[in-house]
Amino acid sequence: MLKLIHLPANKAKSRRKQRRFTSIAAPASLILAGLLSACATPPPQSDTADYQAYVQQDDPIEPTNRVFYNVNDKIDRYAFKPIAKGYVAITNQTIRNHVGDFVTNIQEPGRLVYFMFGGKPRDAGTSLVRFMVNSTVGVGGIFDPATALGYPETDTDFGLTLAEWGVPAGPYIYLPVFGPSGARDIFSIPAQFFLTPVEVAPASEALRIFNYSETALHLVNTRAQFLDPIDQIQATALDPYATFRSLYRQERASQLQLIDQRDTPTIPDWYAPAH
Amino acid sequence: MFHRRVFLGAMAGLPMLAAASLAHAQLAPDAAKAFIDQSGQKLVSVVNSGASTSDKADQLRQLVDQIVAVDQVGDYVLGRYKGVATPDQHTQFLAEFHQLLSYNITYQIKAYTGIGFTVNGASAMGDDTIVDTTITRPNQPPVDVGWAVDQVDGSPKIVDVIVAGTSLRITTRNDYASVITSNGGQVSALLSAMQSQIDRIKSNQ
Repeated sequence: MLKLIHLPANKAKSRRKQRRFTSIAAPASLILAGLLSACATPPPQSDTADYQAYVQQDDPIEPTNRVFYNVNDKIDRYAFKPIAKGYVAITNQTIRNHVGDFVTNIQEPGRLVYFMFGGKPRDAGTSLVRFMVNSTVGVGGIFDPATALGYPETDTDFGLTLAEWGVPAGPYIYLPVFGPSGARDIFSIPAQFFLTPVEVAPASEALRIFNYSETALHLVNTRAQFLDPIDQIQATALDPYATFRSLYRQERASQLQLIDQRDTPTIPDWYAPAH
Repeated sequence: MFHRRVFLGAMAGLPMLAAASLAHAQLAPDAAKAFIDQSGQKLVSVVNSGASTSDKADQLRQLVDQIVAVDQVGDYVLGRYKGVATPDQHTQFLAEFHQLLSYNITYQIKAYTGIGFTVNGASAMGDDTIVDTTITRPNQPPVDVGWAVDQVDGSPKIVDVIVAGTSLRITTRNDYASVITSNGGQVSALLSAMQSQIDRIKSNQ
């Protein structure tokens, strides 16, 4: 602790952040390592229909994943969901939209970097414009005038940058606390811890409180947004775990498609050749 | 965070669905748009009516029968296991799927009021025509929904619903395949699970 006090502010903050990340990642890694031996048994290849389904699922550690799914489900049922319902009861959709806009804006510089590394200059430019416009005209990101100006949000993360590099999605992994992921997408988690504007701001107690509050608000606001869809899946799916796995994979593929679709270069009006 | 992703009909899995479609002439985008507009207005009038929840559920189930190609969707959902199921199992599957699809579609929507439905546009995608719509509800964010429409027995029918790039029929197919693979490849296990779900839904009503 004494050592930390003598460190430059940004180094001390970096250490704290690293420790915060390690405090989550280390036990999770140990649990993962201990449970990885619980692998799904593949059906015989002679059983074509069943074997094809097994290959398509690409979930070799399914028994372990299901354990974590059940743990997260309990945490959600008894903690996140009641909190989200309470949050919905005391807020209206307009407030929730502004909270969502604010959180999205904080993540925009991270997206800019991911798009640049992913070779998506148009998407990167959109992220930059969004951050500049929404942080100023949009009063610190509470409003989203950038969308009205023709710069809609395109979400991304480090997993999708890796996908742009040609890294395959790999087997499905369901993480404790973090939820659905995969062998490639798992790298998004450490990246998002470090790639945020909060990281470059001078360390202070106020910043630390802001950081935790913003994370908590983001989680609650997002969970509130999905109260009905998640209830519907849990009530109607025969196997909710498999349903969430399918939705996750489809959504990732859809995001990649949208990133590529929106990265189409256009010629600005002022550059139009004279006739 | 993955849940927050954009609500656009960027249908990643649709190209591979083409293989499962029946041979037919593709529906023109304008015809598909008109069909979805008409179906959507019927849906809105039922949901926003002052009828009781159970009456609304009954009317919605009738509407589903009229506008959704239930058998075709069911066969797609059963997928490769259609070749594994016996004729009796296939018949039983379609009967149970019909009931479940109706219950699932009406599960939450029957309790809604004040919904709005706007048709935005239509475009060809594989063998289907996708009609993009926006559904609004008081105090809820608007949701963009894509409806895959196909020509079935000479008339337009809905064959898929796409929200945030996720397809209802692909998701259901994966859900059902998981039940079968978890039970040693037995289609009978799926039929039992579906019947249990129907019994549970009926007892909760």
